[in-house]
Amino acid sequence: MGVLRLSHVDITVTDLDLACAYYTKVIGMVEVERTADSVYLKCWDEIDHHSLRLTYAPRVGFDLMSFKVEREDDLAEFENAVSRYGFPVQRISRGASVGQGESIRFDTPSGHPMELVRELEKVGGSLPKLNPRPFVFDASGSGGIAPPRMDHVLVTAEEVGESTRFYTSVLGFRITEQLLDGNGHQIGTWMERSHSPHDLAVVAGPNGGLHHFAFWLDDWDQVRSAADILAYNGISVDVGPTRHGITRGSTIYFFDPLGTRNEVFTGGYRPDPDFPTITWTEDNAGRAIFYYEGELNDRFMKVHT
Amino acid sequence: MSILRLSHVEIRVPDLELATAYYSEVVGLLETAREAERVFMKCWDEHQHHSVVLTYAPTHGLNHFGFKVTDAADLDSYQARLEAAGVAVRRYEKGEWGPGHGQAIRFALPSGHEMELVHGMEQVGNLLPRTNPPPRPMGLVGMAPPRIDHIFLTAEEVDTVTAFLRDLLNFRLTEQVVGDDGFQIATWLEVSHTSHDIALITGPNSGLHHFAFWVDDWNDIRTAADTCAYHGVHIETNPTRHGVTRGQCLYFFDPCGNRNEVFTGGYWVDPDAEPTTWTEAEMGRALFYYDGVVNQRFLTVHT
Repeated sequence: MGVLRLSHVDITVTDLDLACAYYTKVIGMVEVERTADSVYLKCWDEIDHHSLRLTYAPRVGFDLMSFKVEREDDLAEFENAVSRYGFPVQRISRGASVGQGESIRFDTPSGHPMELVRELEKVGGSLPKLNPRPFVFDASGSGGIAPPRMDHVLVTAEEVGESTRFYTSVLGFRITEQLLDGNGHQIGTWMERSHSPHDLAVVAGPNGGLHHFAFWLDDWDQVRSAADILAYNGISVDVGPTRHGITRGSTIYFFDPLGTRNEVFTGGYRPDPDFPTITWTEDNAGRAIFYYEGELNDRFMKVHT
Repeated sequence: MSILRLSHVEIRVPDLELATAYYSEVVGLLETAREAERVFMKCWDEHQHHSVVLTYAPTHGLNHFGFKVTDAADLDSYQARLEAAGVAVRRYEKGEWGPGHGQAIRFALPSGHEMELVHGMEQVGNLLPRTNPPPRPMGLVGMAPPRIDHIFLTAEEVDTVTAFLRDLLNFRLTEQVVGDDGFQIATWLEVSHTSHDIALITGPNSGLHHFAFWVDDWNDIRTAADTCAYHGVHIETNPTRHGVTRGQCLYFFDPCGNRNEVFTGGYWVDPDAEPTTWTEAEMGRALFYYDGVVNQRFLTVHT
């Protein structure tokens, strides 16, 4: 039945201990597993093995975005579809990747390594399955933000239109919103599979770039609380708390200590598959991205990893 | 491809004018069509023609409820599957049942509730433009929920209806209250990756416990309570929290006696998630986490 949602984002960091301390103490993720060069983390309400992998490398960057598919035969269907599109597909066998079953990997037209996976080891959420309370106390044990789950990823591409056609025609993503330049070319697209405003977005920029990945929060009060926690910990805030025109979401952008941009996000809407696409024109790009400010800052436009 | 989400409810009201005034001015729905004995309404952010239909009748209660399917072909495949299981299915052509309505199939649940699957309802748009839209319209009236969320029914045999929904219609169980005798007292099921799209609790067959509108957060739940109090609407349960679904909620009655809810929160659920179970001893916390008890009215009043 196709792609279900974002599964995990794999990034490289130049200081594994510092990154791990930030993602566990400030964000409030749970460390699930550690190998010689990688740490696997998940949010408290996630059942699957991990939603973020940190790997040591001499350079900060983006390794992989992995999406979960619903059925085992989806992998074979997508393997064929991506191959027919003319891109080589690699089968990763069970056991070759920590915490997950078989998967397929390929590069998108913008050179982003992408994975589709069906089975992840179930490590369970932080609540029991018998008479659970409806919340967790201090999931991080350190007063961290403690988002319940990962939400979406935004990548940069030189040819947004070409990338978008790949995600929609080959992988079945649906466009909810698009930003068009004066010539009618797409300079940003927001796409979903999970009946949310976006699971994946592409904006104009260098091929292979990661603009940010985002954690879900339940409401605007939690966004404020996240801002308090970020400020207390001396984290560099990029923009927010504010509101997006696109997606209608409420948001804060900030940087992990090594320079990868994070977001906390809430709100939005529930699009059906027949949702009519919303279009933003370039003269409204400021309000599209930051509805209250009405303009984009240079850092937001230029910094990516 | 599948059943997507709750599409609409059709409820009976003995006073069409009073009910229409309540649903438009207190709840804040928009009227999209009107006949002599029916009024069609939608929430502001919904694109489809209607999500609540008020039908004049001498009493209150539920006439039918509908779920939206992804493709027209889903109607054929579900019809075949239901008929193979001995369930009688009635077919409606596009627009046949009412203005703006889509193609549909109708059948009865084992509990006697009339259920519909619908495709291709007229798209009338939400209140925002499709180019450079603001994040919400100004000047909304009442609680102004963006959309309908779920329906909660009563049934004599919750197990039987739950099995019907799972086996024939691909609903997935997220939570259940299991009695000391091992039978399901209440169940919550989803198709939209939310905590629930439909739920069942032990009670008379064909009964409506409530239907719920989505609001975006806990502040909106408080605003809804303010709105109820201002208009003299009967609040049954103050803003509180469910154990089941983790949602936050407010229960109140329309002027004809149908129970409404505004709901927010919950969680995302994958299709392969394991259901959560509540024991009978913990049923109070399961339904009302802060109070820890379920009041008699909540258990005995339905329409």
